[in-house]
Amino acid sequence: MTSDEITNTKRKRRFWRPTRRQFLIGAGATGVVAAGGLYFGIPFARLQIAEVLDSGAGAPGGVDADPPLWFEIQPNNDILFHMTKVEMGQGIHTALKQIAAEELGAEWDQIKVVSAGTLRGPNDGFGTGGSSSVPTMYGPIREAAAAMREMLRLKAAEKLGVAAADISIANGIATASAGDNLTYGEIVADVTEWAELEETPVLKPQTEFEFIGKTRPRIDFESKLTGEAVYGFDARMDGMLYGAVVRPTHIEATFVSADISAAQDIDGVVDILVTDDFVGVVAESRYAAQKARDAIDVTWDTGKLWQQAELEALVSVGNGRATAIQREGSGAKALQSGKLISADYRSPMAAHAHLEPQSALVEVTPDLVTVHASTQSPSLVQGEVAEALGVEEDIVDVKALYLGGGFGRKLNNGSAVDAARLSAHVGRPVHVGWDRTEEFRNGYVRPLTHSKLTAKLGADGLIESMSHEQASGDVAFPFFPAIAASFLGADFGAWRGGRIQYDVPNRETVAWRTPMPLKTGWWRGLGLMCNTFAVECFIDEVAQVAGMDPLEFRLKHLGADEKTAQLKMVLQAAAEAADWGAPLPEGHAQGIALSTDVGTPCAQVAEISMENGRIRVHKVTAAIDPGLMINPDGVLAQTQGSIIMGLSSVFNEELIVKDGMITAENFNNYPLITMKETPEIDVVLLESTGIPKGMGEPPIGPIAAAVGNAYFALTGERLRRLPLRPTPPVADVAAAGDPTRGEEVYNQCIACHGDQGSQIPGLDYGLNDSEWLAKSSDTDIFDVIRNGRAGDHPDNISGINMPGFGQLSDQEIYDVVAYLRALP
Amino acid sequence: MKITINGEAINLDIDPETPLVWAIRDHLGLTGTKFGCGGGYCGACTVHVEGKATRSCITPLETVADKAITTIEGMPQNGELHPVQAAFLEHQVPQCSWCMVGQMMTAAAFLAENNTPTEAEIVNAMGSNYCRCGCYVRIKAAVTAAAETMQEAN
Ligand code: HEC
Repeated sequence: MTSDEITNTKRKRRFWRPTRRQFLIGAGATGVVAAGGLYFGIPFARLQIAEVLDSGAGAPGGVDADPPLWFEIQPNNDILFHMTKVEMGQGIHTALKQIAAEELGAEWDQIKVVSAGTLRGPNDGFGTGGSSSVPTMYGPIREAAAAMREMLRLKAAEKLGVAAADISIANGIATASAGDNLTYGEIVADVTEWAELEETPVLKPQTEFEFIGKTRPRIDFESKLTGEAVYGFDARMDGMLYGAVVRPTHIEATFVSADISAAQDIDGVVDILVTDDFVGVVAESRYAAQKARDAIDVTWDTGKLWQQAELEALVSVGNGRATAIQREGSGAKALQSGKLISADYRSPMAAHAHLEPQSALVEVTPDLVTVHASTQSPSLVQGEVAEALGVEEDIVDVKALYLGGGFGRKLNNGSAVDAARLSAHVGRPVHVGWDRTEEFRNGYVRPLTHSKLTAKLGADGLIESMSHEQASGDVAFPFFPAIAASFLGADFGAWRGGRIQYDVPNRETVAWRTPMPLKTGWWRGLGLMCNTFAVECFIDEVAQVAGMDPLEFRLKHLGADEKTAQLKMVLQAAAEAADWGAPLPEGHAQGIALSTDVGTPCAQVAEISMENGRIRVHKVTAAIDPGLMINPDGVLAQTQGSIIMGLSSVFNEELIVKDGMITAENFNNYPLITMKETPEIDVVLLESTGIPKGMGEPPIGPIAAAVGNAYFALTGERLRRLPLRPTPPVADVAAAGDPTRGEEVYNQCIACHGDQGSQIPGLDYGLNDSEWLAKSSDTDIFDVIRNGRAGDHPDNISGINMPGFGQLSDQEIYDVVAYLRALP
Repeated sequence: MKITINGEAINLDIDPETPLVWAIRDHLGLTGTKFGCGGGYCGACTVHVEGKATRSCITPLETVADKAITTIEGMPQNGELHPVQAAFLEHQVPQCSWCMVGQMMTAAAFLAENNTPTEAEIVNAMGSNYCRCGCYVRIKAAVTAAAETMQEAN
């Protein structure tokens, strides 16, 4: 069948739309025959999805309307599985195929996974994210598969003239006891009428599973490792052109005017589209398009020139609107008197830094808009493209190709809108792939957070009362109509992971909503890692006041009900696997932390030491309990990956705003973690229930807190800000140094700072300036030397780069500071 | 401009300043080579130029005229995956896999020079290729395994 035929069938089917009532009466199963195969879907599955989403913790939207279509049987007996969930690395195509295979009565290789276009497959308004795909699809897909198998059994029985009970099904073949058989393809041939099932088929019990719970090689890897797999950035079409769009440089910039004269003359430029809010180039090659884009002289109204410190002041507890999201016992009222323990924590903005920039290929014709994109939500993109073009959604067919990472950034896909506008303008297919600077400066980012924690111990040495006040830029609200925000008050994405999990009689969590002047949004786990960093480091602080071991202290606050008993089990499993409390190598220490997210608890123990003034993580031991695991190796991979991505935030990641601009423009000033900093990772997989829970985000929860707690255990210093930047181990840096040795170290500085510290490039004083030396603390000087101060760093005065000297040992830096101190 | 790619000599009549990554992907249609950052930082675009791992996003086409370029499409020999590819598959290394072609090209060039690497040498050789999904533990295991296969083959 050609894609046109499919589209036509689908369009016609839009008018054939049974009501929900009919579906329910009909026990849920409905088939419809189209040329060449059986389209099959089950409405009750759809209703279930909607139900799960509605009851899930804050999962937005729902799967609404339109004929559901999961499986399509082909004459050659292949079963096409129309996949609505996108593969962005998390292994969902393999996992959902395992789930379907369990009930389809077909061979593994017979089932072919295809990406469901928005005009073909089931409509999935939720998209892929929130660690929700397996938990929400597990039931519906098995039911859909079983219902189809049973309908095929009935039809085979009719065709072979035997009773349905006489038919056995295996490997996609229905066989009567007498030996006659029909393949699925043969059963489907020529059938126009399908009887609806009278009841929902009984599903296989877990003890008989053949596919679910068994490690399976990923179905997408072979093509990915040979380079054949097609991602959004790789999409191609005959006659395609390339687009590039001019972006605002400042976070509040608005477009004023553009001078395109220089750009027009660049070889290969086909056309330049200038509207009152959009400037884009179409060219024969990507290089020409980007060159022309860079040659366009745009005038912006920069808006307010925000500084980092102003943003941090904005995102502070006490600002914005407060909503209590947890209040038990007397809540925070119990914290008005007595001996209080309190602390503040902060986390920075961060980028998603998916390595495949967002990208889309769009062909606009009068009655069909075809979009091939890297997107986590084809249906969102369908709406955005339709709106940008002023057409009906039902002529926009969005097909998700493979994604080179998503992490929450690819829910929307601005590149599809760019490409659609440009394609409509030139009448040919246009591909737009963002570059790295667009990704850093024009996307949305993980917002700043601020947490204020307070606790009081009771006479028994346990926490009697605890409060967590949490401020954050928006996470989920930017993606919903304004009404959602006024109705809910607190942004469920922002406070994710912020509620107090421990058994504490009086506890309260309050979320302060502080929208930021730049775009903020979903980032893997949403608020999970940063909130857990605050809460779990603070628990360690309280344990210290209570004079108790951090593990023991936590265990004493867990187990009062089933939920915390499960947390306790996971915590114990991690501690045991990590040999918590056993002697460690000299200079090493461990830290522990616990989180729970989408019902999946995870505990981690980090073992660290210091190397050249930096935290070195040697080993992370994790225990996680995601319930039923569909593909255990996939669970392991998600855990390893989350820990490493989290460590990147712990060590490096911080987006800074200076003079109204995000300073990061590429990985040179926003470095990610590499193999060099990657620790050994040991994972304990627990499976306490037969129900699958979310897995893509939960393991990122504890890592920052585990490392912060290990650092405290090692040094006695509490770091309350991400990324973790240790201050030097001695307070009196200069006294610990030797000026004579320091003079030798200083040889590396002479080129810029002159003989005996006589100058600082770009400044009118030198390192030997007595006034400057008097007002600078030893640790400040130490810090600049070790970490440097990039030209775009908020503290930089000259705009010129002071390189970091992380390669020097602490002692060498003490020495050079002592040398500087002795200069004047 | 003449370049040799995966053993085939090809004439490319495009702007000689075009970054090699676009020439390979957009003009020759070999989309196995990926684009990640455009600044040579992440390594996703790594190809071999005369056997050396080279970041194609910062390599202008004119600098590789008459040189032999190998991309992932040219790695399998006689229908068999290159030992590095086979090891990455065996160890189920990738997640999204956008960086993996660059990782494998980096590893293959490195192991061709040194197929008895120490762990530290592997970390050093692979230490400037980013993987945002965080597959470093498995990448290391696969490169170690590939080294062993390559030793046996010699
Ligand atoms: C490549 C040039 C360069 C080198 C090499 C260099 N610096 Fe600097 N350094 C600078 C610049 C530029 C600044 C000013 C940064 C600013 O404007 O905030 C600076 C600032 C400093 C400051 C802070 C001054 C202030 O006003 O806060 C200290 C301390 C310093 N450098 C120490 C050193 C030491 C010690 C070394 C050698 C180990 C060194 N620098 C090597 C360029 C350099």
